[in-house]
Amino acid sequence: MSVEDPYALLDKWLNAQELLVVGKDVTRVDAFQKAVGKAYFTEDYLLKEALFVKQVLSPYPHARILSYDVRKALDIPGVKAVITAKDIPGVNQVGYALPDQPLLAEGKVRYVGEVVALVVAEDYDTAFKGVESVEVKYEELPYLLDPLEAMNRNDILIHEEIGSNIAFKTKVVKGDVNEGFAKSDVIVENEYRTHHQDHIYLEPEAALAIPDMEGRITIICSTQYPHLTRDIASKVLGLPSSYVKIITPYVGGGFGGKDDEGPLVAAKAALAAYLTGRPSFLMYSREESIAIHPKREATVIKYKSGASKDGRLQAIDVKIIHDTGAYANRGPFILWRATVHASGPYEVPNARVEGFAVYTNKVYQGSFRGFGNPGIQFAAESQMDLLAEKLGLDPIDFRLKNILKEGSTTITSQKLDHSVGVGEALRKVAEASDWWRKRREYSLDTGRFRRGIGVGVAWHGISTSRGVPDWSNAYVKIEKDGSVTAYTGIVEMGQGAPTSAHVQIISELLGIPPTKVKVIFGTTDAPDTGATHASRGSSIGGIGVLIAAAKLRERLAKLASEILNVTPEEIMFKDGRVYSKKDPNLYIEWKDLIKEAISKGVELSATGYFFLPKGKFDDVRGQGFAYPAFSYMVVISEVEVDVETGVVKVLKVWPALAAGRILNPQQVEGQLEGAAVQGLGYALMENLVFDGKGRVVNPDLTDYVIPTIRDVPEIQKPIYVEDLFKYGPFGAKGVGELALIPMPASVANAVSHALKTRVTSLPLTPERVLELIRSSR
Amino acid sequence: MKVSFKLNGKNVVIDVNPNEVLLDTLRLKLGVKSVKRGCERGECGVCTVLMNGKPVYSCMVLTPQADGAEIETVEYLQGKEEVKALIDSFVKHGAIQCGYCTPGFIVTAYALIKAKQNGLTKEDVIKGLEGNLCRCTGYKKILEAVINALNQLET
Repeated sequence: MSVEDPYALLDKWLNAQELLVVGKDVTRVDAFQKAVGKAYFTEDYLLKEALFVKQVLSPYPHARILSYDVRKALDIPGVKAVITAKDIPGVNQVGYALPDQPLLAEGKVRYVGEVVALVVAEDYDTAFKGVESVEVKYEELPYLLDPLEAMNRNDILIHEEIGSNIAFKTKVVKGDVNEGFAKSDVIVENEYRTHHQDHIYLEPEAALAIPDMEGRITIICSTQYPHLTRDIASKVLGLPSSYVKIITPYVGGGFGGKDDEGPLVAAKAALAAYLTGRPSFLMYSREESIAIHPKREATVIKYKSGASKDGRLQAIDVKIIHDTGAYANRGPFILWRATVHASGPYEVPNARVEGFAVYTNKVYQGSFRGFGNPGIQFAAESQMDLLAEKLGLDPIDFRLKNILKEGSTTITSQKLDHSVGVGEALRKVAEASDWWRKRREYSLDTGRFRRGIGVGVAWHGISTSRGVPDWSNAYVKIEKDGSVTAYTGIVEMGQGAPTSAHVQIISELLGIPPTKVKVIFGTTDAPDTGATHASRGSSIGGIGVLIAAAKLRERLAKLASEILNVTPEEIMFKDGRVYSKKDPNLYIEWKDLIKEAISKGVELSATGYFFLPKGKFDDVRGQGFAYPAFSYMVVISEVEVDVETGVVKVLKVWPALAAGRILNPQQVEGQLEGAAVQGLGYALMENLVFDGKGRVVNPDLTDYVIPTIRDVPEIQKPIYVEDLFKYGPFGAKGVGELALIPMPASVANAVSHALKTRVTSLPLTPERVLELIRSSR
Repeated sequence: MKVSFKLNGKNVVIDVNPNEVLLDTLRLKLGVKSVKRGCERGECGVCTVLMNGKPVYSCMVLTPQADGAEIETVEYLQGKEEVKALIDSFVKHGAIQCGYCTPGFIVTAYALIKAKQNGLTKEDVIKGLEGNLCRCTGYKKILEAVINALNQLET
């Protein structure tokens, strides 16, 4: 085994006893610059000579494009180009999972807001005029908005070539559900519905594409995966990938939305730049953003589950229908995630789960924090409360009887061999919230204001699902003056992966202060690090940083041991000094060690490639290895419902997280609080409304309401169970998405407790709550 | 048309279209980067600036309306004691994630402190900041940061 073996290096730091920087509230390096406007976002790079791009959008949910007439638009002084599908030099195909999606509509439009053409002009106003002057003739087609209707109809096809409106199917089959229900003493069956959610990142989508003299293009853009963005843009342009460079500056929020839309915005700006030979800038207005970009999927979930008198789950039978909208996009991956997580974090011996992603003529679904999981956990956790009630058990006691632990098998029959801290998290947070007393006491409320307390427990697989390849990488180099530069493809979109976690990892390993570490993030100049999604930026993204820095440390430890005449094992790196642990008087200054390394031919740069080991998964039966590990989250919510107005107030929230090592408690807290409030918004108020033609009628922040500072509950200090993950940096799993996932379940269970009636659909707006109260009387 | 105003302590004379909004003038013509573009219809607060000492959404102000006014942004205000305290507190409390909303919050919080120097309650702060949206932090650390800065300034 070489000392640079990545497994050995991960293992060494997983078990490190004493950490200096990791695990501490280290202030992130980008905070001050952001506060004073010195951190640049995409629009801040706008060039004076840039052309402006505006988009011509489809006014119809489903129509054939008969003809375009762009002459009037081109006659406007200042309009430089009008671009339609036929002008695309490369391939007009940007479907993520299935090849079903053009960048610019071709032949047909499939939702209101689909991009049909681009107008490129000297300034915004002229581009607007150009958009109004482009004449597109359509032949309207019959359309489908309801996924339940769409999946059963073949007379109207949204994608003719597929021959059905079902874009994708998934399945998990474990054991025998009939036998499981036969063994059950209580059975509960319900239909749950969840709705679309918009990300509302405060920075709308933007990209600036700059052609250079050698036929290459640089795109500065707000995206979550620079390498994928490059691959899509180069494919559209018909250029080799190496001719396109992506720079992702600070991103004003992503939440998954810019994982899907970012590459498309970049490709459109690049197209304009390529065809005009001038820098071109595209930024969406808020209305365009909401109309065009993919949303959290709406779901219909039919869920039947059974348990025996002893409080053990026996079977689940689940049908998941995702409204995928006009295109499949990441729908198949989102559906897989929902399908394999359908049980919730519990042992279930018999399971049948079927998933369907169904096309409709609405804005399509895509990545959003939680990725298919919040909807299914809402259904699963509602069922758990109902079963507990029928069994006469407390909801948490019932959960604890079935909770996953080390050695448990999941519904894909994957045995969990380590890192399963959910049971401990649940017990601890139940105690911290005084659960059992409140659960009894609030049941007695009878007045206008009714209190309720509810729990949501969730699990979330780390990395891509099944055998889908996943890896980490980074390039780290030590400069002559001893400062360190690291390159990663991970972006900074608020979560702080490259500006806190990665900085801390390097600082820890090389014993230099965070101020000496510069992480260059979000660039295709870095090795492909995978996307900044799936809660992987700090954890999986951090593996590459750790391995590269650890390799450098091993080399320098060897060199220092030779200089100091001690063993490499006793070498320590701390406060800019390298010394012997046994005798701290034997030391060499970091700067001098670097000089020595340069003069003695020790390489001071390293990459940290790591390919995540995975097992086999059978897609037909949905059995096998689903994820290398899971992160777990419990949220207990306390609510007060005004039964006269239907207004729900979330008063208190208790979070508990089992996500391995906490690299930076303050930053993790920030993620949990932000995700909890985004989840609370989803559960209570956020609601995208479609009219009868599939048009979003509330594409603005007055009518699409997100939480303000007034809506924030008292969020308690999180409970951390550090169930280390053997392939994570220092044992870290992922955090970013976690607190959102159980939030709808937690709030819905609390409201159900307060009202003594079951919530089965969201959001819990006052209208819906009043309806619920009326129908339960 | 010609418009003149004081921007961050300096006189500015600029030729604008009558329908141009202050947000565009500041961002695109005068290079003020702390003022962000979020909704362009007065809903999100990321473009907040001080106009004659009061916080306004610069996307809702026509530049000609700013004629003769004093406009201040965080680039300039960061020299003030109260703003320094606010920024320090935001940084220390982890109240900054993506940072897109941060300058708007700082400007609004500063105006709040100036308008009602003594005895700001938590409710006053909530009322003062409810016109600024943040999608990352869940607001808890923002509220803590502002209250902490207030306490610092009072002692």
